[in-house]
Amino acid sequence: MTPIPDNVEGAFLISIIDFILSFVIISGIGVILAILPVVNRYWAIDEKDLKGGH
Amino acid sequence: MLDQLISLFVALFEQTGLAHLYWGNFAMIGVGSAMIYLAVAKKCEPFLLIGIGFACIVVNIPGSDLAAPGGLFDYAYKGVSLLIVPPLIFLGVGAITDFGPMIANPRLVILGAGAHLGIFVALILAKVLGFTLPEAGAIGIIGGADGPMAIFVTMKLAPHLLPPISVAAYSYMALMPIIQPPIMRLLTTKAERNIQMAQLRKVSRLERIIFPVVIAIIVNLFFPPVAPLVTMLMLGNLFREVLLVGRLADTAGGTLLNLVTIVLTVAIGSTMSAKTFLSMQTVEIVCLGLVAFVFGTASGVITAKIMNLFLKTKINPLIGSAGIASVPIAARVSHIVANKENPKLFLIYHAMGPNLAGVFGTAISGGILLALLGVK
Repeated sequence: MTPIPDNVEGAFLISIIDFILSFVIISGIGVILAILPVVNRYWAIDEKDLKGGH
Repeated sequence: MLDQLISLFVALFEQTGLAHLYWGNFAMIGVGSAMIYLAVAKKCEPFLLIGIGFACIVVNIPGSDLAAPGGLFDYAYKGVSLLIVPPLIFLGVGAITDFGPMIANPRLVILGAGAHLGIFVALILAKVLGFTLPEAGAIGIIGGADGPMAIFVTMKLAPHLLPPISVAAYSYMALMPIIQPPIMRLLTTKAERNIQMAQLRKVSRLERIIFPVVIAIIVNLFFPPVAPLVTMLMLGNLFREVLLVGRLADTAGGTLLNLVTIVLTVAIGSTMSAKTFLSMQTVEIVCLGLVAFVFGTASGVITAKIMNLFLKTKINPLIGSAGIASVPIAARVSHIVANKENPKLFLIYHAMGPNLAGVFGTAISGGILLALLGVK
């Protein structure tokens, strides 16, 4: 990997890449969260059973 | 005889701290006292400011060796600098945090990235001021408003800057109720501040249990540099959500969290010795930290306003500033500002979504920063 230059241009470059990638990745987490309710179709956990201990 | 007596008293005086006091000590004792004042009189995050302020006062009394190598406070600092305390803080935070609001409204996670513009503004300004790129990255992460993450990234990028960065991060987190509201009001209209948000759906136990496991896998897979923190956060949350190990969740989120908070605050305060702390560099870092918080708050609110352009069901832009992280302080600020505007508004649960996403936003930004700078 080409090292990022240690100057103001490098700071701009790293900031732009980081800011954009942060949006992309956090959107990915958002997508995962959006499809998370699908699991409820296949399995349900009895909370009373869990609260009863092991 | 008289000469001997005088020289004896002078020798005695020289051994007291009084002989070595200088203006810097008085200034820092003033700073520590101000922190305790804010905690007690203004109720500004007393859990953080009392320990930091008290340790700051003590280490600025010459003669006290508490922060010297081998001193009690030095061991507390070692716990922080060896990166033992920050993951334990995250374990405790995970055990007391309900991620339900974030799971229930996935759209709002965008605010967790949107409110982090401050990181990059501070990073670029730090570089302009002459800091190296790793130093600038560590300073920028103050804008993530996440104390343990700021410490973690700083120890990887610029460990010598840990004292001013940790002090700036925690001080501004404690001062968020003062810093954020004017910016939030400035960037929103009265009508926007009055937007009522719909009730969130109920999140099932299964989703709550799967969530920390999935996030831990993703973070370890894509962001190994910051995995220790997020992994511990998710472990603590799993303890909480499985309901089966209440004792572990209670310990992690109660006794353990209280203990590591004491160690952390004392360790941070102990770095505020006038001799090392009072420098132009510290002033620059403290100013850049404030810039980061201001821009982070503003960008969060603006991101929420941009989202409203595309959403059918509008969101109250005041929750945007909560995306800066600093759980749950920023969410509480969103709620209080809205509640003052309209006592019928109850935004805390809605603001917790972006607030929790902000933790991941900071971790992601920090992870990318470390990866781009080639730090493992």
